[in-house]
Amino acid sequence: MTSKTFHMVNQLEAVDTMVQTLRAEVDTFLSPETCFRFEICLSETLTNLAIHAKAKTSDVPVEIGLTIESKTASVEIFDPLGVQPFDLRNHAKDLAEVDTLAEGGRGLGLIMECADEVNYGPTGSRNRLSLIFRDQT
Amino acid sequence: MIHTTSHDDGITVVRPSAERLTAVNATEFKKDVVALIDQDASQIIIDFENVSFLDSSGLGALVGVLKKIGHRGDLLVCGLNSDVLQMFRVCRMDRVFAIHKDVDAALRAIRERP
Repeated sequence: MTSKTFHMVNQLEAVDTMVQTLRAEVDTFLSPETCFRFEICLSETLTNLAIHAKAKTSDVPVEIGLTIESKTASVEIFDPLGVQPFDLRNHAKDLAEVDTLAEGGRGLGLIMECADEVNYGPTGSRNRLSLIFRDQT
Repeated sequence: MIHTTSHDDGITVVRPSAERLTAVNATEFKKDVVALIDQDASQIIIDFENVSFLDSSGLGALVGVLKKIGHRGDLLVCGLNSDVLQMFRVCRMDRVFAIHKDVDAALRAIRERP
């Protein structure tokens, strides 16, 4: 089992670099299909935070924990301090229900569809989104 | 954000210049392609050969281009790698866009249209 912690400045310009960094961490452990789902979910999650999560100070970083064990990757994304809680499970739209000509509104549904487990809630003094990805057998 | 090749029969092949189409550059990509449509480009092939990753913002930009072209023209996509193709499938966009293997296949398809 390996565990690492990352920090990302909560700005849109920082998202893709972090997504690629995290993807590189799981590349040799997970199947290509699982890596695809992992990368999409991280991109959508971190983009959502960068665009919508307003912290009291603009440079509050996002802490990301990654644990890899066997054929499973677990990611914890901690809300920056001061950000209002947002449980995406209550807001995500099923992708089949999104208007095919809609230009937005797919991000949260993608996370729900692509992650094997999605949980959100407090841990200690912080709120945390937890995503788990497993190779499909 | 784009490179274009114009063919004599009015077909424009567009290649995104970014390897990854995400929230940070999707708007600019859409703006650049819409500008082509405003300049009367009506048969457009978007070649994703050099695009390795596309998130929902990139896909949304593509939908925006499709809506702009509307019934006035044709929009085809080609060169999707396995991840980009999977993204289209997960979002049901494989039912919305005409997807072709490569530019040659897309050119054949668009030229065969009535």
